[in-house]
Amino acid sequence: MSPLGLLSAGEKAEVVEVMMQKGCCQGAGKGQSCHAEDMGLRAGKVVEMLNNGGGGPLLLKVDESRIAISRGMAMKIMVKKSD
Amino acid sequence: MSLQLSRGEVTSPVQSQESKSTAAPHEKTITVAVAGNPNSGKSTLINAIAGTRLYVGNWPGVTVEKKSAMFEHGGRKIKLIDLPGTYSLSPYTQEEIIARDYLVKEKPDVIINVVDATNIERNLYLTVQLLELGIPLVIALNIYDEAEQKGYRINTKAMEEMLGVKVTPTVATKKAGLEELLKAATESADNPSRYLPKQLNYGDDIESAAAVIRTHISEQYPSLDGIYPTRWLAFKFMEGDSRAAEEASLKMDAAFIDKATAHLKKAHGDDMESIMADERYALATGLTREVVKRPEVRKVEITEKIDRWALNRFLGIPIFLAAMWIVFKLTFDISQPFGDWIDGATAGPVSRLADKMIAAVNGPLWIASLATEGVIAGVGFVLAFVPVIFAMMFFITFLEGSGYMARAAFVMDRAMHSMGLHGKSFIPMLLGFGCNVPGIYATRTLENPRDKALTALLLPLMSCGARLPVYVVFIGAFFSSYAGTVLWSMYVMGIVLAILMGVIFKRTLFRGESPMFIMELPPYRMPSLRSLMIHTWEKGKHFLIKAGTYIFAVSILVWFLLNLPWGVENKKDSYLGKTGQIIAPVLEPVGFGNWEAASALVTGLIAKEIVVGSMAEIYAVEQAEEAPTTVSEDLKEMGTTFVAAAGDSFRNVFATFGIASISAEEDEGASGLKTVIQKTFTPLTAYAFMAFVLLYMPCVVVAIAMKHEFGSWKWFGVAFAYQMVLAWGVALVIYQGGKFLGIG
Repeated sequence: MSPLGLLSAGEKAEVVEVMMQKGCCQGAGKGQSCHAEDMGLRAGKVVEMLNNGGGGPLLLKVDESRIAISRGMAMKIMVKKSD
Repeated sequence: MSLQLSRGEVTSPVQSQESKSTAAPHEKTITVAVAGNPNSGKSTLINAIAGTRLYVGNWPGVTVEKKSAMFEHGGRKIKLIDLPGTYSLSPYTQEEIIARDYLVKEKPDVIINVVDATNIERNLYLTVQLLELGIPLVIALNIYDEAEQKGYRINTKAMEEMLGVKVTPTVATKKAGLEELLKAATESADNPSRYLPKQLNYGDDIESAAAVIRTHISEQYPSLDGIYPTRWLAFKFMEGDSRAAEEASLKMDAAFIDKATAHLKKAHGDDMESIMADERYALATGLTREVVKRPEVRKVEITEKIDRWALNRFLGIPIFLAAMWIVFKLTFDISQPFGDWIDGATAGPVSRLADKMIAAVNGPLWIASLATEGVIAGVGFVLAFVPVIFAMMFFITFLEGSGYMARAAFVMDRAMHSMGLHGKSFIPMLLGFGCNVPGIYATRTLENPRDKALTALLLPLMSCGARLPVYVVFIGAFFSSYAGTVLWSMYVMGIVLAILMGVIFKRTLFRGESPMFIMELPPYRMPSLRSLMIHTWEKGKHFLIKAGTYIFAVSILVWFLLNLPWGVENKKDSYLGKTGQIIAPVLEPVGFGNWEAASALVTGLIAKEIVVGSMAEIYAVEQAEEAPTTVSEDLKEMGTTFVAAAGDSFRNVFATFGIASISAEEDEGASGLKTVIQKTFTPLTAYAFMAFVLLYMPCVVVAIAMKHEFGSWKWFGVAFAYQMVLAWGVALVIYQGGKFLGIG
């Protein structure tokens, strides 16, 4: 298991845990992790890293959509690399 | 198997006879709510169905855009309501709450659920939640052509059976399938019992808990039956969604709910909300697996190919800047001849016509002066910028519609971090280039209050369309040989200063880290000309309305301020002139310490485009005495100059990409204002003045929008104060620095 943020472009991985899930939608950053899950970024999903260049946000392929997430969020999503 | 899509013309002639003779329920207006994910082509579909009948307003109490339309189809009255695009019906964003409240409280007769056929799984997650509401539903399987191109095979029959609703493939951009969709919608609305959506099975554990709670609700609150869908209510209680309970004004015993869901929590070891969400998602996944066949090998899509360049860590920002430069250049080149034409027409033939009319009825001289120097000069000057504004809106709409706008946010995320924000805040800021007001309202898409306030605070530094008139006049007078570049530099200056101010605010008023963000990047698409036109018009019409009302009134006011006390000989001694004289010394160090400029800036507090209108009035730009003309000559002049303007515009577009650029060639008929400005300003003071206009205080409409969004004047006060200081400081640096370097 490693954080999603450490995948490099072209790699695929299965989401194991979205660590913001517990108590999501409460307190600061309200609604955001729920949003991530509503957008399909949830446990069990195989995602592909499309763009992970340097310090900016990264771009994932989730199902048929391209979803940009901030690096901070990507470090809180644990994945298992698949080949 | 490919489905035959017929090209449907949506409008049908009104068959009044038929509707009269049919039974009572058919005279009823059918309310159709359109729901769907963002980027599912929902708004294109709405535009295709409703077209010009679309009415754009706001949802009550909030400023989220609400589109609706009333029209007849097949002799039936249909009321179409566009719900905000959402991924879910959870009550966390304003959009979700609006959509959900509308569906639960207003109970539309039927929901059209727009589903992106190329991305069914995630779209069905919303569908599953919509089905819970027990409202008749039809699915528009939109973007069906792209799904077919990608080799997807979607079994719509199976989908219909599993969901118990009608599924119609549509291609909104080509208006295909819309006729069938509306037919399905009316049919479902007419026979709600037959087309009631299936209640999907959420598994024994959830279903049994829900059943217990439903029975409890029905026993305790029999009056709620038929008003709220009890199964939905039960689900909401299980999820601990207090909002739903408040809405239905019923109290649920927390202990009772806990007891009913205890076995679930024990079995899954999770909070109920995630359990429900997981189950819904599992249903969406399962359904997708059943009905969609994807090709084995996935081709690299064109969007990904483009993104490799557009989002490249090194090339991304240069590409973005180049794209913006082309937009500004094209905007200017295409629109300027038309602007000049309006300018010339109002200053010449229109004023002459007005003079003749007033003279014909023996109107007093001051009326003629009010009409020509006040209203026609003021409003005319502002109207001259309609072409520029619309051209700019057109290109911004194009960037939005093509999908590039979201990339700009992605690319700019790092830069935005330096000012304590993230890329998502960039979209309101980009909108701010059109007009700051919609930009301020767009800050509501930012979940975090800190982000929202900081974005709104920096947003007025984005050079809006109203500032364009000022630049256009000054650029025309001093920098016409490199107009595009100078214009571009104004926009860049705004952006650079926003970053600078952001850094300062981040360290002072807004400490703390910028939160995380998530955003979808839609596939690149060629926006249809039709939707471009509709959205350009929606964005630009506010400017026209403003010119017709606000600026009209202000022009009259300015005229009076310039001509009072009554009979004032010299404009310098008028009320406005005196105010200008008081302020002028403050502007001395920045290069334009004359009362004319100061007075014009004062009127610009109301709206920045008024600055040029006021200048025109202050300088009372006199047209050189011309030979008397006849009415028909005046009209003919307007006609021939228009044709010339169209030709210039056309040539400019090609010149944009060549070495040649717009030159001073057509300055023959340039307005008198430019000539006067050339006498009172130097290129250096002109540039300082432009910078000042860019930066000094947001206009009154922005002030109102900020008050509206934040509920207090606090943030506007902060914006006002820092911008005044910034404007003066920057103009000072430009002027004194330029003088030191020996420019101007």
